[in-house]
Amino acid sequence: MTILSVAGLRKSFGGVQAVTDVSFTVAPGEMLALIGPNGAGKSTCFNMLNGQIRPDAGTIHLGPLDITGLPPRRVARQGVGRTFQITATFASMTVRENVQLAFLAHHRRIWHLLRPLAAQYRAEADTLLDRLDMLPQADRAAGILAYGDLKRLELAVALAGQPRLLLMDEPTAGMAPAERVALMRLARDLATTTGLAILFTEHDMDVVFGTADRILVLNRGALIAAGDAAAIRANHAVRAVYLGSGTTTGGH
Amino acid sequence: MLHVDTLHAHYGRAHILQGLSFHIAPGCALVLLGRNGAGKSTTLKSLIGLVRPTSGRITLAGQDIAGHEPHAIARAGLGYVPEDRRIFTELTVMENLEVGRLPPRDGRPPWTPERLFALFPNLAAMRNRPGGRMSGGEQQMLAIARTLMGNPRLILLDEPSEGLAPVIVEHMVHAIRAMRDSGVTILLAEQNLHFALAVADQAAIIEKGRITWHGPIAALQADPALREAWLAP
Amino acid sequence: MSALLVQLLTGLSGASSLFLVAAGLTVIFGVTRVVNFSHGSLTMLGAYIGWSVLTRLPRGPEWFILGIVLTALIAAALGALLETLLLRRIYRAPELLQLLFTFGIVLVVQDATLWLWGPNDLPLPRAPWLRSFVSIAGERVPLYDLILIAIGPLVLAALWLLFTRTRWGTLVRAATEDRDMVAALGVDQKRLFTTVFALGAGLAGMGGALALPDASANLQIDLNIITDAFVVVVVGGLGSLPGAFLASLLIGVLQSFGIVLLPQATLVLVFVIMAAVLVIRPNGLLGRAQSTARGEAHAFALVRPAAPVLRRLGLAALLLAACAPLIAGPFLLSVLTEMLIALLFAASLHFMMGPGGMASFGHAAWFGIGAYAAAFAVKGLALGMGAGLLLAPLIAGLAAALFGWFVVRLSGVYLAMLTLAFAQIVWAALFQAVEITGGDNGILGVWPPPWAADRRVFYWLTLLLCIASALLLRRILYAPFGYALRATRDSERRAEAIGLHAVHIRLAAFTLAGAAAGLAGGLSAFSKGSVFPNFISISRSVDGLLMVLLGGVQSIAGPIVGAIAYTGLFDLLLLATDQWRAVLGLAIITLVLAFPHGIAGSIHRLWLRGREA
Repeated sequence: MTILSVAGLRKSFGGVQAVTDVSFTVAPGEMLALIGPNGAGKSTCFNMLNGQIRPDAGTIHLGPLDITGLPPRRVARQGVGRTFQITATFASMTVRENVQLAFLAHHRRIWHLLRPLAAQYRAEADTLLDRLDMLPQADRAAGILAYGDLKRLELAVALAGQPRLLLMDEPTAGMAPAERVALMRLARDLATTTGLAILFTEHDMDVVFGTADRILVLNRGALIAAGDAAAIRANHAVRAVYLGSGTTTGGH
Repeated sequence: MLHVDTLHAHYGRAHILQGLSFHIAPGCALVLLGRNGAGKSTTLKSLIGLVRPTSGRITLAGQDIAGHEPHAIARAGLGYVPEDRRIFTELTVMENLEVGRLPPRDGRPPWTPERLFALFPNLAAMRNRPGGRMSGGEQQMLAIARTLMGNPRLILLDEPSEGLAPVIVEHMVHAIRAMRDSGVTILLAEQNLHFALAVADQAAIIEKGRITWHGPIAALQADPALREAWLAP
Repeated sequence: MSALLVQLLTGLSGASSLFLVAAGLTVIFGVTRVVNFSHGSLTMLGAYIGWSVLTRLPRGPEWFILGIVLTALIAAALGALLETLLLRRIYRAPELLQLLFTFGIVLVVQDATLWLWGPNDLPLPRAPWLRSFVSIAGERVPLYDLILIAIGPLVLAALWLLFTRTRWGTLVRAATEDRDMVAALGVDQKRLFTTVFALGAGLAGMGGALALPDASANLQIDLNIITDAFVVVVVGGLGSLPGAFLASLLIGVLQSFGIVLLPQATLVLVFVIMAAVLVIRPNGLLGRAQSTARGEAHAFALVRPAAPVLRRLGLAALLLAACAPLIAGPFLLSVLTEMLIALLFAASLHFMMGPGGMASFGHAAWFGIGAYAAAFAVKGLALGMGAGLLLAPLIAGLAAALFGWFVVRLSGVYLAMLTLAFAQIVWAALFQAVEITGGDNGILGVWPPPWAADRRVFYWLTLLLCIASALLLRRILYAPFGYALRATRDSERRAEAIGLHAVHIRLAAFTLAGAAAGLAGGLSAFSKGSVFPNFISISRSVDGLLMVLLGGVQSIAGPIVGAIAYTGLFDLLLLATDQWRAVLGLAIITLVLAFPHGIAGSIHRLWLRGREA
């Protein structure tokens, strides 16, 4: 059984191939890491999956449903959550309101013009925030949160849409080592208990090798390797283009 | 080279630096380690003047620079490479370097594009490419090269390994070592301990805007309890 | 054929001085990110200074050149002075407050110019060589036109060399992208900004002076030229000099042909072209996607319901307003009625501008459509006031939905300019549909029915409708829809990622705001008893902006405070002084310097201080 299946994905910008013939699948409860050098096409891949970029060729299926070329909001409504490399939250709202709005959007209750938001989906939002240890901050403005908390809020907002697949673009970038471990442990926990599939890009090899079930390596737009941590570490091509000797990144 | 004495700084209403003190000897490479929000970036921004310190003393090679304008501080010999690189995307590599150019200092041979291309060979092949069409790793190299064009006495590097592929990080280690060998003093903020161990000789741990530990990096490496204390959430 | 050629050459020559002004505007915007309304004032000063200089010099061509250069230098010096004394202080302020600030400068310069040079147009006595002709294809073409045509490309080439071949130019282009980084690399950005501003002002002054032989120095130059220059810059693409050149040729030629072919519709033609360009190329002909300049994160403040004390204060004010007719005389009552209408107008503009992030420069369009709909219902269809006040928001809302469909896809300055364009189109349409609208004469005799003819009754009706509508808008902002609207402003990427349709949400907000403004317009029609095309003038749109910005965009009470303060200030000034422009301008400048977050916003901040850790 698969949640996401990608077949023959291609995209070029001004004649330059950014992604060439990429195919893979993700199973429920699986954590799949997408790694590769800067400019290898990871972001392009990600943006095609969530609909920000329309692929030149290839198909993207979510379960049985073809979501190729759908705009981001429709991909989101089909059950794909996303966190961004540079966090994107609603700065003029409190932490709780951010999550309440995500619930309302998911349940298509945006067009209510009169009933105040304050009382709607409040309990659901608090339950979710509690799960992510964010409840004590529920009344603070999202715009003044510390970076690590912002990342967790973004995760909460993504989860409020009850996704089947979660796309995380460099989820731990800019976090201290301890926070990285905690955040990825949380993600792992979600995947195991709810069957949520998680696809993430990452440059911290401690995180990648420590949490991913399976790893895909992208170089110059093409997949050059796929496998578990041991297989990827032992792969000569991956060492040459990406991992290096591993002395500076914990990739040893 | 650099003396920082009871530095305080605010970001909006938040009191970020709360009496920070440390110093760096000439030719040294000091790494500032600390959690997110501990004040690493703010420390570097206060030194270069992008955040105006509320109080405290900063002297660079005997010259008082606290509260001065960023351009005056840069001209006094402090170079700054920001966390997000901030390359001028519409300018070519050569033009980016030109923006960073300042007069030679202390009679030492100035950094020239040719010397920098020897240090970062990748850049040599793309002299006329706009900064916006370079990969993250290339941009990081250009950001450092651009700052070196100002012939700094001391260079501030904010998380130079962030978001870079492991192989590129290795290049960066070599480049930073070479920079130090050429006589530039280095202060870097890092989260990546592996990287810090590879390039620094001194370390300082920053917590809630204060330095809580300062010593040779070897001592940090040898003391798992200390590392644990810094790593713990 | 040859007549066409002459017309073409006339258009091209007009394009040159327009290009100089627009080039200055775009260069200044590129580096300082200030949309500088006062650029038109610098052009006007260029014309007046040019007149003073040239009339004192001998009439030979060599003296003319010297005079033009001298004028450009004086304008550059004035620009540098303006930058160091005033503009430098507001680089970190929100974009729209900067706009307001520069508008204050416009007002002050207008009165200063009036005081220095007097109210009359000052034509330049034309020297013989300025009156000479050259024969091209059998047609007599003025020599001066040919000179102007040559100046445009020459200036473009000179600027291009300056920006790409000199260190100064490289630094300027770098600062356009990221001024803080340039400073951290050792460049004195203050001096850089001053020099850029001086260059821009010099170009504006030169443009003003070069237009003298074909026109005159007059007090309308500032607003006329700034509108044209904005159009040119937006059509060409913000920050693009070649784009500005192309666009000025386009607009210049269009205007010269338009005057011959469709004299009435020239203005509309220009704005139709702009609207068409923006719909097809949202960033202008040669512009690139707008990125907010680095080092100025737009942190939006948390929106909270007002504290109980402030609410009680508001309620008290409302009670006082309800009792006003028992105390106030007819004059004061009509001022208060105007205030209430202004309040709803400002609240409707705030609705899309604050929470929606869509700053409209043409909000008067919906006000005017509402007013005309109400007037037409009464005079044309012989319906009652009730039907008129129902049709006003309905028709205005429909029109807003129609235009909004184009507008809500754009953002920032482009959005502002497209709304301005639509307002101009509406204005011209109403102006020209004489059979229905009476053209310039307007529609007269739009009076309330007998039961509401008493000024007090009409006041109470206005109070009820305006306050209820403003409260409704407020309520919507605290409902899911209002949050969704703010979400599209805070982070469109995130909004789409949780499944929100940003364009639909903005369009709905745009329509609601248009309808509310339409109601305000309808009330205004009955209050004044007549409607005129000037209900849709740029200055009414600017009034709305001033009210919202004066009050503070970030706070929901802002537009209300702003509307009251502005209407009050304005009426007081009109009564008290002839120099109302200078006083109002100085008041705006002072207020922006003192309250960078608007009056209500600043009070709110003071209120919060010490209450939140």
